[in-house]
Amino acid sequence: MSLRQHMISPLIGNNPITLQILGICSALAVTTTLSTALTMSVALTVVLVLSGGVISLLRHHIPPSIRLIIQITIVASIVIVIDQLLQAFMFDMSKRLSIFVGLIVTNCLVLGRAEAFAMRNPVAPSVLDGLGNGLGYSLILIGVGTVREFFGTGALMGVQLVTTVADGGWFQPLGLMQLAPSAFFILGLVVWLVRVWRPEQREYPEFRLGSGEDGRR
Amino acid sequence: MSGWLLDPHRLHWRRAWSPGGVTLAQAIALAPPVAVTLFERGPGQLMILIAALLASLVWELAFASLRRRAASWHGVTTALIFAVMASPDTALWQVMLAMSFGVVFGELVFGGRGYGFLPAAAAALGFLLFSFTGAGLAPAGTGLVIATLPGALLLLATGLVSWRALSMAAVVIILTGVAGQGLDGIWSSGVWMRDAWAPALGISFGLVFLVSDSLSTASTNPGRYVHGALAGLLIVLFDAVAGPDIGQAAVVFAALLASVFAPIIDYFAVALVLRRRRAGHG
Repeated sequence: MSLRQHMISPLIGNNPITLQILGICSALAVTTTLSTALTMSVALTVVLVLSGGVISLLRHHIPPSIRLIIQITIVASIVIVIDQLLQAFMFDMSKRLSIFVGLIVTNCLVLGRAEAFAMRNPVAPSVLDGLGNGLGYSLILIGVGTVREFFGTGALMGVQLVTTVADGGWFQPLGLMQLAPSAFFILGLVVWLVRVWRPEQREYPEFRLGSGEDGRR
Repeated sequence: MSGWLLDPHRLHWRRAWSPGGVTLAQAIALAPPVAVTLFERGPGQLMILIAALLASLVWELAFASLRRRAASWHGVTTALIFAVMASPDTALWQVMLAMSFGVVFGELVFGGRGYGFLPAAAAALGFLLFSFTGAGLAPAGTGLVIATLPGALLLLATGLVSWRALSMAAVVIILTGVAGQGLDGIWSSGVWMRDAWAPALGISFGLVFLVSDSLSTASTNPGRYVHGALAGLLIVLFDAVAGPDIGQAAVVFAALLASVFAPIIDYFAVALVLRRRRAGHG
């Protein structure tokens, strides 16, 4: 795979959320508004890039038996710095994201890329792989956040785009969009659409229900 | 694909039901409640019924043509249940949006009725209640309760409603009623409120068509008792916590949550049987 491919393939073809179904928990939690989704996307992308680079740099010095501990230590250090930066310069946003920035430490996506890619590849591909996966994650988060904020409140980035019924306009916000289940529905729809578009991503069930005739045969 | 039948594990019946037969039996059972509702609440309710039918049929036909198989018409019963429970002042576009959600996400994405795990009508009503502020369900009158009875008997006799789930849910509600915890907001008039068994009657339509539908209850027989009892307890709990305003919506939320628990109830029921069998064979 060329260097460029490392960055481009996780965008759609090998998207961490829609194909690998990783990082779902934070994708559900922070997408009620576009601004939280954007902040989380940036935070996660930065963590992925830095951790990919650092872990790849140290990969020949990490003993296999304690590699997970070392990976988590590296990821946690980066996450703590980012969390402190958010608290220092974007205090309101950090309050709205609550524990989810801190929880990037245990994000399956970050550890997954560290373990599967950065541990066995040079620095440049690892950094690009982190960037690509971060952007793939961001793409889905921004999409879901846009849909949820617009249809749930009629606003985007906190700016009211259409007047709601409550304020005398015509737009009736969908309350469900602001609740966690809607993120599941939207993600499900996105996965569905992507797999219609890219049939090679489809997974086929291991077992199928037989028809009545099959059972009798 | 014409030979596919409903999941044989879910319906223990002498001959297998065809999807069309299920729809027909349920539609016959639903005819009296729908007629009474239309008569009592007037043309507004008729418009809701038409909108609900339209939305469900559009999605049924769209999925049938996408998947290249015959339409199942199950959406018709979903629309009928929805039209009986929805309040007559619900906006028509809200009805169509909620029905689209219920039919697609409650049923069609899973491959049709019997393959999903939620009652599609409860999913549609849940969407309506969660999404739109001020949306509510119509309280039941005596007419609806009486009209529910023949259909309930038909579905019980044909096994399309689980008597185990239905009786356990009713028992739980009646017992809590005896203990003094009545359900508020169920009746349009407060006449029968003092009787312990009145709340179970007031939500009988929801109990029969949402909670005890054989296709969305637990699949094992012991599991169905637990499922019914759980749904009954949830109805009492939602009513006690949310107060009289929740009314019939308590049944919808209880039906949804109990159905979500159905697979794990089945898991434990099967595990229990297996453990006993192993103990028996030493």
